[in-house]
Amino acid sequence: MEEIKKAILEFASASKKTRFYFKDMEKAVQEKIPTAKAREIKKAASELINEGTLIYFSTGSTTMYGLKDRCASDEPQQ
Amino acid sequence: MFEPKRPQKELKYEELRIYTDEELKNFTEEELKEFKIKHEIPAVEELEKGPWPSFVADAKQEALRRRKLADDRMMIDRYVVEDLLGQLELSFKDGETHWKHGGIVGVFGYGGGVIGRYSDVPEKFPGIAHFHTIRVNQPASKFYKSDFLRALADLWEYRGSGLFNMHGSTGDIILLGTTTEQLEPIFYDMTHELDQDLGGSGSNLRTPSCCIGKARCEWACYDTQEMCYEMTMHYQDELHRPAFPYKFKFKFDGCPNCCVASIARADIAFIGTWRDEIRIDQEAVKAYIAGDIVPRGGSHKGREWGKFDIQKEVIDLCPSQCMRMEDGKLVIDNKECVRCMHCINVMPQALRPGKDTGVSILVGAKAPILEGAQIAQVIVPFMKAEPPYDNVKEVIERIWEFWMEEGKNRERVGELIQRVGLPKFLEVIGLPPAPQMIKAPRANPYIFWKEEDVPGGFERDIKDFRARHKR
Repeated sequence: MEEIKKAILEFASASKKTRFYFKDMEKAVQEKIPTAKAREIKKAASELINEGTLIYFSTGSTTMYGLKDRCASDEPQQ
Repeated sequence: MFEPKRPQKELKYEELRIYTDEELKNFTEEELKEFKIKHEIPAVEELEKGPWPSFVADAKQEALRRRKLADDRMMIDRYVVEDLLGQLELSFKDGETHWKHGGIVGVFGYGGGVIGRYSDVPEKFPGIAHFHTIRVNQPASKFYKSDFLRALADLWEYRGSGLFNMHGSTGDIILLGTTTEQLEPIFYDMTHELDQDLGGSGSNLRTPSCCIGKARCEWACYDTQEMCYEMTMHYQDELHRPAFPYKFKFKFDGCPNCCVASIARADIAFIGTWRDEIRIDQEAVKAYIAGDIVPRGGSHKGREWGKFDIQKEVIDLCPSQCMRMEDGKLVIDNKECVRCMHCINVMPQALRPGKDTGVSILVGAKAPILEGAQIAQVIVPFMKAEPPYDNVKEVIERIWEFWMEEGKNRERVGELIQRVGLPKFLEVIGLPPAPQMIKAPRANPYIFWKEEDVPGGFERDIKDFRARHKR
């Protein structure tokens, strides 16, 4: 689990986009850890969300993930 | 008998109320007539002039109520409703929206249920600078106690705009408009005090919804409420923690009348059906013919339609022409019946669905967003639907596994089937092709058989074929 979380964070920090789909995150993790299953990646991502490192970004119809620190400036806050 | 999956909290509604009824009834009809909101909204007010009830009239009432509530009785801007109508007027004038949607707003640990919305002209309409939506997971078949609705409406008056939709397309109550700061307190009060969960949004399983089912309807071929509740509880993780390529909807219809329109709206539609014979009460058939029973349960009796004619109104309208009268008795060739429900709807006292009931599972419906609309197609013609529904869950999970693996970002499962083809989809899901999956099974070669599929196999020499048939 820790290994998957590390791979997620590496992808999230290195990714060109600040927000990304679950599928892209899954692919990136599986390149590093080919045995990682989607469900495990989802669990690891949920843990990162609960820890406050990762955040969800939702348009209402689609949900994306992002690093909290990288996404804060994107938020259309008033 | 309903068995909750977790202990049900006994709600003390009196303690949950925030306002007294007198406090909410704080204006007179006269005051409402005289009331002008703070913006000029002539185009929006046009909507009040039609013969139907208008949301503008409702919104004005709410605006007036908020004008008269005490300052400490509302946690967000007093003028939220007035600014909402003001921005709508501006959008009519400009011919374009002034909403921005999406963002990182949400409640802790949940990936759905809250949809961020912001005005792009907040300096003009500060009350709706933040105007986030919250989805509330409706109970099966939308049975509420009015006490519960009062408590929820009070919470929303206090921490939100006071405006809500009953209900959104997926069936949830949609609470319209609050600020980011209020989201966590609302979530806490709703889950801890009202024992009420949020619904689904984003790339999640959306809030499952069902028809009224066995609660009121004799045609329900399975317990839609029980199955909807079971699936909602069983797939909580999928509902709240998004990891799908896009949205995914379940809907449960008890019979092919499809009252929640699952066939047109759900990625997986569960439609009640039967595999034995339509039950016929020949005496009641005679009574319909004689005019002793009003057809369609009397629902068309507002006009004179003439004497009921079973040939014209039932038998000739059967889409597979599987009915006839023989020696004064109605005969149905059940193997040709396509479950259109017409005869049962017209003569409910004479005809009833069979006794060996279950569900048909249809996959792939969607509204036009990225691609055009699609209607669902049959994947499983018949399956028993009884607790704990392990057979149904197995089908669901196989479909999800394939879609999560092969689906592109923002591709619905119906679009995936269209892209890879039905035979490939069936092969991966592990289901056999069946004639019920297509409209004209005898004419449409929708399955290309492989050599190993056919007993005895076959040999195919393309050179030999081309020697006799030019391209």
